[in-house]
Amino acid sequence: MWKVTVKGLLAHKLRLVLTALAIVLGVTFVSGTLVLTDTLHNTFTTLFGHIYQNIDFEIRGKAAFADNGTGGAVRKPIPQSILANVRAVPGVAYAEGTAGGYAQFVSSTSKAISTGGAPTIGLSFDPNPQLSALQLAAGTAPKTPNQVVMDEGTARKYHFEVGQHVRILLAGPPQTFTIVGIVRFGTADNLAGATLAAFDLPTAQHLFGLTGRYNAIDVLARPGTAKAGLEHAIAKILPPGVEVVTGQTVANEQSSAINQALSFFSTALLVFAFISLFVGGFTIFNTFSIIVGQRTRELALLRVVGASRRQVFRSVLVEASIVGLVASLVGLGLGVLAAMGLEALLKGFGITLPSGPLVFETRTVVAAIAVGVGVTVVSAISPARRAVQIPPVAALGDHRGDQRESMRRRIYAGSIVALLGIAVLALGLTKPAIQLVGLGAVAVFIGAGMLAPVVARPMASVLGRPLAGILGISGKLGRENSMRSPRRTAQTSSALMVGLALVSTIAVFGASVSKSATSSVDNAVNADYIITNSGAGAAGFSGSVAAAAAHVPGVTAVSTVYNGTFEFRHSLKALTAVSPDHLSETVILRMDSGSGAPALAAGELLVDTTTANTDHLSVGSVVPVKFAETGSSTMRIGGIFKANALRGSFVAGDSFFLSNFNNPLPVAVLLRTDSGASKAGTAAVGGRLSAYANLKIQTRAEFENTQQMQVNQLLGLIYALLALAILIALIGIVNTLMLSVFERTHEIGLLRAIGMRRRQVRAMIRSEAVILSLFGAIVGVLIGTALGVAFASSLKQQGITDLVVPFASLVTFLAIAALLGLGAASWPARRAAKLDVLAAIAAE
Amino acid sequence: MVVTNQTSSEAQAAPAPPAARAVDLVKTYGMGDAVVHALDGINVEFERGRFTAVMGPSGSGKSTLMHCMAGLDTPTSGHTFIGDEEIGLLDDAGLTQMRRDRIGFVFQSFNLVPTLTAGENITLPADLAGAKIDREWFEFLVGQLAIGDRLSHRPSEMSGGQQQRVACARALIRRPDLIFADEPTGNLDSNSSTEMLTFLRRSVTEFGQSIVMVTHDARGAAFADRVVFLADGQVVGEVYSPSAETVLDQMKRLSG
Repeated sequence: MWKVTVKGLLAHKLRLVLTALAIVLGVTFVSGTLVLTDTLHNTFTTLFGHIYQNIDFEIRGKAAFADNGTGGAVRKPIPQSILANVRAVPGVAYAEGTAGGYAQFVSSTSKAISTGGAPTIGLSFDPNPQLSALQLAAGTAPKTPNQVVMDEGTARKYHFEVGQHVRILLAGPPQTFTIVGIVRFGTADNLAGATLAAFDLPTAQHLFGLTGRYNAIDVLARPGTAKAGLEHAIAKILPPGVEVVTGQTVANEQSSAINQALSFFSTALLVFAFISLFVGGFTIFNTFSIIVGQRTRELALLRVVGASRRQVFRSVLVEASIVGLVASLVGLGLGVLAAMGLEALLKGFGITLPSGPLVFETRTVVAAIAVGVGVTVVSAISPARRAVQIPPVAALGDHRGDQRESMRRRIYAGSIVALLGIAVLALGLTKPAIQLVGLGAVAVFIGAGMLAPVVARPMASVLGRPLAGILGISGKLGRENSMRSPRRTAQTSSALMVGLALVSTIAVFGASVSKSATSSVDNAVNADYIITNSGAGAAGFSGSVAAAAAHVPGVTAVSTVYNGTFEFRHSLKALTAVSPDHLSETVILRMDSGSGAPALAAGELLVDTTTANTDHLSVGSVVPVKFAETGSSTMRIGGIFKANALRGSFVAGDSFFLSNFNNPLPVAVLLRTDSGASKAGTAAVGGRLSAYANLKIQTRAEFENTQQMQVNQLLGLIYALLALAILIALIGIVNTLMLSVFERTHEIGLLRAIGMRRRQVRAMIRSEAVILSLFGAIVGVLIGTALGVAFASSLKQQGITDLVVPFASLVTFLAIAALLGLGAASWPARRAAKLDVLAAIAAE
Repeated sequence: MVVTNQTSSEAQAAPAPPAARAVDLVKTYGMGDAVVHALDGINVEFERGRFTAVMGPSGSGKSTLMHCMAGLDTPTSGHTFIGDEEIGLLDDAGLTQMRRDRIGFVFQSFNLVPTLTAGENITLPADLAGAKIDREWFEFLVGQLAIGDRLSHRPSEMSGGQQQRVACARALIRRPDLIFADEPTGNLDSNSSTEMLTFLRRSVTEFGQSIVMVTHDARGAAFADRVVFLADGQVVGEVYSPSAETVLDQMKRLSG
């Protein structure tokens, strides 16, 4: 039996290749993602290990909050006075303080330099080469308040050299420095795209609001000193709230923080890889169903000469495993190439990564093969079961496999699976649990796939009618062919159905998010101009911007907005701060109860209705809060406002905020003018703030556009990732059409013999392809729209307040699907047209 | 002589059961007004170690009879036996076992597996059963059928006569109790037909093989020990030690 299977596979190499392609692409995605993230993981671990290898101890503030959130622990700076005591500890060879904060270079063309959302880091330069993470590549260390050293990555990209002047944006007003040195971060040009500006320690302390304080103290032990004893000795002289840890600990923390971010990235990519494999599974299922149908006679013959059911079942599964294995191995190889490609793609997006050797873990091999073989075999189980049902007598006559299975059973089974899927999906959405949502969606798709044959015949009939009208007999035959076997029509198009359902879900969801972003701006901002940092994901900008903007003629109200994290009732939350003066002219609060501006001025906290409801708070409630800088205290709830995504859930007054956070950067400045928003107004504000190169000055309408654009950018990325799933679905259509052409060789030969032109044969195959694609696309778009509406409405509390169904986009998807179907048909159509008439008729 | 000694201990007391028999066999297709009686209460026995031909006009039920007796098709009512084993009582696994060990098939359209070579096709039943191949028997069959130089060829590279000889070897490789041959010469030219029939005849005479052959060729039927005539799903006559003439006479009588 083994021999029959293998020989059968080798005899149909083309079938093998097309079937395997779907799996190859999916496995490529999986292994590419794993190789890339393993490589990045390794690179960062090595990098941090290298940087901290010489530092024996670091003294720093204890983590301020129990819950560190995603951004790493928040630590309070430590008093400078500790340094002298540490130096006095026997066994300490060297100790120096460090200070860091926001510092952003301005290019020679007056553009603020930032790369793809990576941070712009300012820090103190430690001249001891043993201790410093920064290694001088050229020039000297900074020694005076107007000297700076720059990372090599930025220097190369923006053509800076030692001796040149550079303007730097800071928490305070911008300043100009002289570049005295170029540095590398460990062995890398810079830190994953982050720019580095290093100053001598007193300057850094001054610039970053740390006068008299340090972020940390780095310590070198005298050679031969017992490390454990020394750590203990240092710990003894530290004041409360300050801790000493080994350099290794810091390295581990840093790399694990990066790896957390990486694992998020890898999970996101893997989700799309699995979507591709899921769609590939549909394609495999369809191909194997057709193959089993075409091999009915051969399989029946095997049964006649003594093959048991189990042997037939196994032979189909073995065929699937071999296809899966070959495809996985090819996919694995391509995955390594893809990893390099993805790395290049990320670079294209502006995310520069440190270079390192490609990491190829055993786990990647195991996962790729398990996933590839697994998906193929599981998809082949149902066709294999159908193969087992073939009676031996089918070997004798032209017994065509049982086409007319019970539709009723199909409807029951399909409905049950679909309804279960909907139930799980609903549960997942209300909980909310993303795994349940995914599982439910998978079940919905499988259920829809099972139900699709029920509607395939009538829908193919309707869709084919115009084609029959335009193309005459070719269109008519194409329509008949697509109606001939509703099950095959439905199966072929189901992969495309899943692909388009996902695309439509994202379209509906995205349109709703986009619209909600706009309306949350409308409901939260009253200002004419909104000033933000122009870099994506940048920390903020100088605190002196607001004062400068207030001097622009015509400006009647200025409000500075800050963001920070604090502990609210013992869990980490984001806090927004605005100034209460002229509040209503720049910010809309929509108070539900209590007061707005007066409460903020009094140092009270405003919370949104959602928080008030879940935490059972009302005006006058007193809640425990904790700030990294100032520690634990309590706050009175001064008012409750209507929930809004832009405002956030917690709002405080700016003076309260400034007294509880160290040197915070404003994230936005809101301006109200007496003449309203205008182009001239933007220019006037821009002119006054020209020293701050990192600012973006937008009218409210422009700001809304930017918000929408950010959503659309993300949508574009998701569409690109889903494109692979669509491609796999199209391969499935090509494959099915090829098999159909092969199966109908005799019939096509006959049509040609009685006078059908090649052109007409091609038109016939193309009509069938268009009907198949449109069928899948329509069902998919309908399901996707429903899913999108469900997702969007379940996130109403999270700020998706508006529900939008983008009809124009959905119709475009249908048109594109039809065109893609036409493209998928071109090869099979050409092949059908090229058939030799005589040989085709002779074919059995 | 090799095959028929299973029940030798009882052979003295009672005669060995026939290789196959049908009792009151009925097979109908369709329902209501459109009902067709393919088999209308047939009783027939096929002797062990004999070559029996089944003849009849198209639609007489001869192929249906064979399919039901071989366990390929399920009768509407009645019983069929291979040896003393009732086919109707066997489940799928039992039927598979039966096909592996006790029945061989030769078809009109050869029905070789196109992706396997001639040699692999011949040993396929043994491979499927996981049985060891009797090399000596294999060489003997290959020699007798003169296909030794074709063993590494695919079916598509062989003539019809060669393909049918391979199919013949495949049917015999497991030394089944009974071979069902469904119009084995239907797709062959007259030379190949004669070769094929001569070989089937010899396998009965020389190795004691039992064969049931469906045919509508009187010349072919003349190679058999006995011809059973069917018409409208019933046995309507039989001829022992037939010649082409006696068979043709009988056929004329039946149609006349």
